[in-house]
Amino acid sequence: MRIESSTYLLEAAAIWMRDMRSEFRTRFAINAILMFALTTLITVSFAIGSFRIHVSEKSFLYSVLLWIILVFSALSGLSRSFIKEEEAGTIDTLKLSAKPQAIFLGKLFFNLTLLGVLELLIVPVFVILMKYPIKLPGYFIAIVTIGGLSLGAGTTIVAAMIARASVRGALFSVLSFPLLLPLMIVSIKGCERASEGVDVSGWPEVKIAIAYLIVMITASLFLFPLVWEE
Amino acid sequence: MNRDLILKLVLVIWMSLAILGAFLIAEPAERFPGETSRIMFFHVPQAWIATLAFFISMISSCIFIVKRKLKADYMAQAAAELGLLFSILATITGSIFASVTWGSFWNWDPRETSIVILLMIYGAYFALRSAIPDSNRKRIFSAAYSILAFLTVPFLIFILPRITQSLHPEDTMNPANPGMDSKTLAVFLGSLIAYTGLFVWMLRLKYRLLILIESSEPAFDFFEGEQQ
Repeated sequence: MRIESSTYLLEAAAIWMRDMRSEFRTRFAINAILMFALTTLITVSFAIGSFRIHVSEKSFLYSVLLWIILVFSALSGLSRSFIKEEEAGTIDTLKLSAKPQAIFLGKLFFNLTLLGVLELLIVPVFVILMKYPIKLPGYFIAIVTIGGLSLGAGTTIVAAMIARASVRGALFSVLSFPLLLPLMIVSIKGCERASEGVDVSGWPEVKIAIAYLIVMITASLFLFPLVWEE
Repeated sequence: MNRDLILKLVLVIWMSLAILGAFLIAEPAERFPGETSRIMFFHVPQAWIATLAFFISMISSCIFIVKRKLKADYMAQAAAELGLLFSILATITGSIFASVTWGSFWNWDPRETSIVILLMIYGAYFALRSAIPDSNRKRIFSAAYSILAFLTVPFLIFILPRITQSLHPEDTMNPANPGMDSKTLAVFLGSLIAYTGLFVWMLRLKYRLLILIESSEPAFDFFEGEQQ
């Protein structure tokens, strides 16, 4: 039995755990993401107020606002996973320590953990604060979960690309946005339908989001070794 | 050289005939107010060329990644520049048509959305190219990005129209089901061929220009990573 193939996921898990540990010590990325999300949420809630939007309009508007908050928080904080390596000068050691695909998976898991924490905190607060009416909670949770996973999957390889570029933050947003647009459109539609209670037999939006997730992860797994080894 | 010159003259004459035909030969279609259907002879070829350019850019990027031939990257860049130009043209002509026919310049109809997304992809592609000083890394990264961007396009093409309503007159504009009479169809195909010829001409020009520019620069960067 070849040892190489059995340590593939172990390497990814090791990188993930190492990132989690270093993030736990400094908490830069999670602070950035959470503060951005909270500030946006508070601004939105304050500006709209409790009684301004009629209930019939709420489902549409609030889906849009929720996804704007999630996507922009992700775009502000997810590039940390590679930029921190670049700043600390540990990129070369990382290249030596694991296979490129294992590194990608480790960083992907890390980004997904950050997004998971973000969503767990922000989505309930949003629903409660804005009095977001949700008629199909199962579908809503499915869309938000899969959408969050796909958000991480689409942005991790872009984070690797911009880690050494000149205008990192803006470039990350500029590059990720066209890739994320199909996902955003589908997720917003899905949340709107879950909120209105419209018939969602076959779960179309969830299926599209899962397809997007699979396509993005596969393409990133193919392209990441190129980007990583330049 | 002679053959090129003859082909260019043919293209000039063909394009002039197509433009004249669009205004003189073809008759305005029934469902469109006034003469507005004539924009179809310009707007649809531009949108078609924009997508074709994107496709060529993606294929060249794939070839570059697999074979590492510099010429493939030049072709990808040239195709992306022309794709950007034709997307801008398609957006502008589409907005003019929209303002006359449907009352407002922009409506976020699925086709309009996809052309804007194409514009953003091109913009992001050039932003990435200009932000990385090292030329080898620049080419690989922009090729990888081009492929990633192309993978999101099927989602937009096949999914958007099913989810949202469309303002675009689908049955008239679908060439497989020609609601057009033969004269209009002839002028439309002529215009399509003229625009494709124009695109091929400009593409070859830009490609040869890039080869000349790149071959006059040093083959490798002494100062890797230094901001320019």
